[in-house]
Amino acid sequence: MRAIVLALSLTLPVGAFAQDRLPILTDTVNAHILPGYAALAEATQTLATAAQTNCDPMSAALRAAYHTAFDDWISISHLRFGPSEVDDRAFALAFWPDTKGFTPKALTSLISAEDAAIQSSAAFAETSVAGRGFFALEQMLYDPQFSQLGSEDYRCALIQAMAKDINLNASAINADWEVYAANLTSPGETSPYRSENEAMQELYKALITGLEFTAETRLGRPMGTFDRPRPKRAEARRSERSLRHVALSLTALRDLAARLSADHPDIAADLDGAFAAAIGRAQSLDDPAFEGVATAQGRFRIEALQQSINDIRAIASAELGPTLGINAGFNSLDGD
Amino acid sequence: MTRFFTVTSVLALGFATTAVAADAPSKADVLNTYANIAEAKYDDSLIAAKSLQAAVNALISDPSDATLNAARAAWVAARVPYQQTEVYRFGNAIVDDWEGKVNAWPLDEGLIDYVDASYGGPTGENEFAALNVIANPTFELSGKTIDASTITPELLGETLHEADGIEANVATGYHAIEFLLWGQDLNGHGAGAGNRPYTDFVQGDDCTGGNCDRRAQYLSAATDLLVSDLEWMADQWKQGGAARAELNANESAGVSAILTGMGSLSYGEQAGERMRLGLMLNDPEEEHDCFSDNTHNSHYYDGLGIENVYLGHYTRTDGTPVGGASLSDLVIATDPSLDAEMKAKLANTMRALGQIKSTAEAGFAYDQMLERGNEGGEALIMGGVNGLVDQTKTIERIVTALELDQIEFEGSDSLDNPNAVFH
Repeated sequence: MRAIVLALSLTLPVGAFAQDRLPILTDTVNAHILPGYAALAEATQTLATAAQTNCDPMSAALRAAYHTAFDDWISISHLRFGPSEVDDRAFALAFWPDTKGFTPKALTSLISAEDAAIQSSAAFAETSVAGRGFFALEQMLYDPQFSQLGSEDYRCALIQAMAKDINLNASAINADWEVYAANLTSPGETSPYRSENEAMQELYKALITGLEFTAETRLGRPMGTFDRPRPKRAEARRSERSLRHVALSLTALRDLAARLSADHPDIAADLDGAFAAAIGRAQSLDDPAFEGVATAQGRFRIEALQQSINDIRAIASAELGPTLGINAGFNSLDGD
Repeated sequence: MTRFFTVTSVLALGFATTAVAADAPSKADVLNTYANIAEAKYDDSLIAAKSLQAAVNALISDPSDATLNAARAAWVAARVPYQQTEVYRFGNAIVDDWEGKVNAWPLDEGLIDYVDASYGGPTGENEFAALNVIANPTFELSGKTIDASTITPELLGETLHEADGIEANVATGYHAIEFLLWGQDLNGHGAGAGNRPYTDFVQGDDCTGGNCDRRAQYLSAATDLLVSDLEWMADQWKQGGAARAELNANESAGVSAILTGMGSLSYGEQAGERMRLGLMLNDPEEEHDCFSDNTHNSHYYDGLGIENVYLGHYTRTDGTPVGGASLSDLVIATDPSLDAEMKAKLANTMRALGQIKSTAEAGFAYDQMLERGNEGGEALIMGGVNGLVDQTKTIERIVTALELDQIEFEGSDSLDNPNAVFH
């Protein structure tokens, strides 16, 4: 099966160029991207309101709103282009991985100095991205290190400022997408995408980069090496969301992959089967913060999950990309 | 393998007839120029590192403000050719596998020597962040006692570098040497670089900072190692060297490697990791050459390296030109307007990086540009970031225009057996 698909893809690149990509571009924008950012804008509004109502880190309503909004972010976190990159909005929503402990450093500095920047949204937006967004909020809500530091009033105001900043960024991205969408659905001289191929490449790149990030960073960082596993590097481990992020991102990427492969049922089926296998593995893993990386048995199961994501990557880069006549280009993970 | 490329080259020919039929240089000639420039750049880097080595030896044998400043000047000069080689990194595995030894960054400098109290101690991420090997002739690493009574290139390269699997444990290369020559920059967002006194290298009673003998030993070992590492890489690019052989093994893959190096350095590495991140964090030490405040030059020469590889023309540090058939010529033959677009964007980036450089040289240092709310600094750095991001888009267009799309697919190691499907 795979051999035939590949052979066809190589003999028909001219056909690939002639593909009418507009239906896929329009569908992906309208059914994948826009609803995702709209959901995030709404959930972060709820989060900001919850923080305003009760800023106690133990507040059930605040924590529930945090989880829902974070879920919505992870489900679109692979869409790192256009409005999310303006004014570093996506970084300000989610600064991770934090390889040098910038987030605790930024929080300690804000709280110790009682930095007045939190009093205005505009001033807070000028502060380090490491002290803003979901990962900074997580430490304020779940890390004992920050439950007693400084004054309670300041911590409360900081949590409220963070929630509001998250909502402002999410709303700004959502509003900009209403305008930016046309760049993808009507590419040309006035768009950053000169052709439908370039618009398609952006979406394909989001799929490839999203898979790479989930396999190499979300899983790879806590895995470390066999001799030196790094469970404390798991994403959002304090609120036990590490595994959840893997499952959420795979579910979102499965949806994107299905839309991008809509014209090629065989590849769509291959991809969907591989996603189902990976999501199945994630769901059967009872290890929310990947603490199991430190044990042989736990590590084996997490490695298997990583491998199943690498299987999806192989199909995407060997079958989908060549068939669409699209290469993955460069992404932000290309450095070291 | 062979059959695969027969297929793709037939396809490429099919396109060529509908495109422009200008006189394209052969890919072999383009690769030859690219390799010749690499050879010249690494040789220049080696020559400059040997000058640094001589200056370091002079500092150690006769510590003074004059010899310390001479060593610092030699370090700054050594960065000029080296940074221009960085464009070779991501496209050539032989370079990428090696470069961590010479240019790893960022580093937890407390591994090496004394640091200010504000630095803190070991962290959850790095237990060895404050090891201070210069003050500690023995220490425990992964359950073993390490004898560091003599600081040798072997100790630095094989034991201390990336100790405990942590990338921030940088014991070797330019930035370790930079730290020993300048010391920590404790000026925050204020003016001034690191200010290590020459007396840190004075032997006997006038020694400051303690352990001046071991500090001198460390500096000497790290500099010797830099020279030998560069010697090795320069050899790989000579006629018959392994880097050339790998590059020429497959011409299309070789051309793809040129573009991969240009694009990955422009986007993920320089625009992202080295420039935008520091700005977003407003952290004065989140700059590439944080001890010496030489970051503006590092960024500038990285950009220049990308441009001169595309244009196929490099001027050696002694003024000798090295050049020939270029990637630019190859693009002209396929799509002249795309070549014009690439040249314009590279020039635009160089203008933006040049503005950062000239402003820094006029006294507004890179770490001052990173300060929260400093709009002028932010605009300068974002000018460079935007130029680099923008040129990456055109590099992608060239990959598509030259029909190199399938290369990555061919090179994918995730496929079970990529050749099998073509039989």
